[in-house]
Amino acid sequence: MSIMMCLSLVLLILGLAFVASNPPPYFTALGLVLVAGVGCLALAILSGPFFSLILFWIYLGGMMVVFGYSAALIAEPFPESLGSGYVLGLMISYMCLVFFTAAMVLHFYDGPLHLLGEISSFNMVQKDAWGVALMYLCGGVLLVLGALVLLLALFVVFKLTWGMSFSVLRPV
Amino acid sequence: MIFTLMTFSFMFVLGLMGLTFYRTHLLSALLCLEGMMLSIFMAFSLWVLQMESDNFSTPPLLLLTFSACEASIGLALLIAIARTHGSDRINTLNLLQC
Repeated sequence: MSIMMCLSLVLLILGLAFVASNPPPYFTALGLVLVAGVGCLALAILSGPFFSLILFWIYLGGMMVVFGYSAALIAEPFPESLGSGYVLGLMISYMCLVFFTAAMVLHFYDGPLHLLGEISSFNMVQKDAWGVALMYLCGGVLLVLGALVLLLALFVVFKLTWGMSFSVLRPV
Repeated sequence: MIFTLMTFSFMFVLGLMGLTFYRTHLLSALLCLEGMMLSIFMAFSLWVLQMESDNFSTPPLLLLTFSACEASIGLALLIAIARTHGSDRINTLNLLQC
């Protein structure tokens, strides 16, 4: 396993431990952006460039929206990040739990899941693009279902946020 | 395989613990849900890439579509709660009066 792969896996767990340890939402969104970027790197190393591209477009675009919401809505007078004892203590406790569980798993691990040890890194043959082409070939019903779910989500959002007079960000 | 398996399992469990335990803001809980969705996307993609089952690469994309729906409805609920309660702190949701 290459050093980039190990680094990306460790950064994924560290970033999600930071997200879970209750910092203010600006830093939480920033940590989740970091986790999504490292996830793109890991998928690209594991020879899935199309998944990496999809994740970069959709997920990081959505994270931009969430970051805008958190910067606009959250009124936190004294934001405390890893410098405070509360967030740092929670993150250290989460990481201790992760190390303990990983040590248990690696100690009692017998190797039935070790099917494919070799990682074909940065492969030119894009198997994931083949699968997506198969989705566009045969999976029309699923695509229509996804479009209908997105339309339903649009109507639900309209119903929830209708009306300018009750707005929290009203113009003065 | 065992390291990637442990990685997305730990990501899911950490996101679930961060969602379950005490959160100050509602937006942090939504971000933990996003992290759980990211871990499930990584799990499906790693299944496709490491088991060499190419026909299974449809479910990660559909899962990403549904997670976009979930994120949009979560943000709309956040806006609705901020309109009725004035803030998105979770301890204001414990009050019985609006």
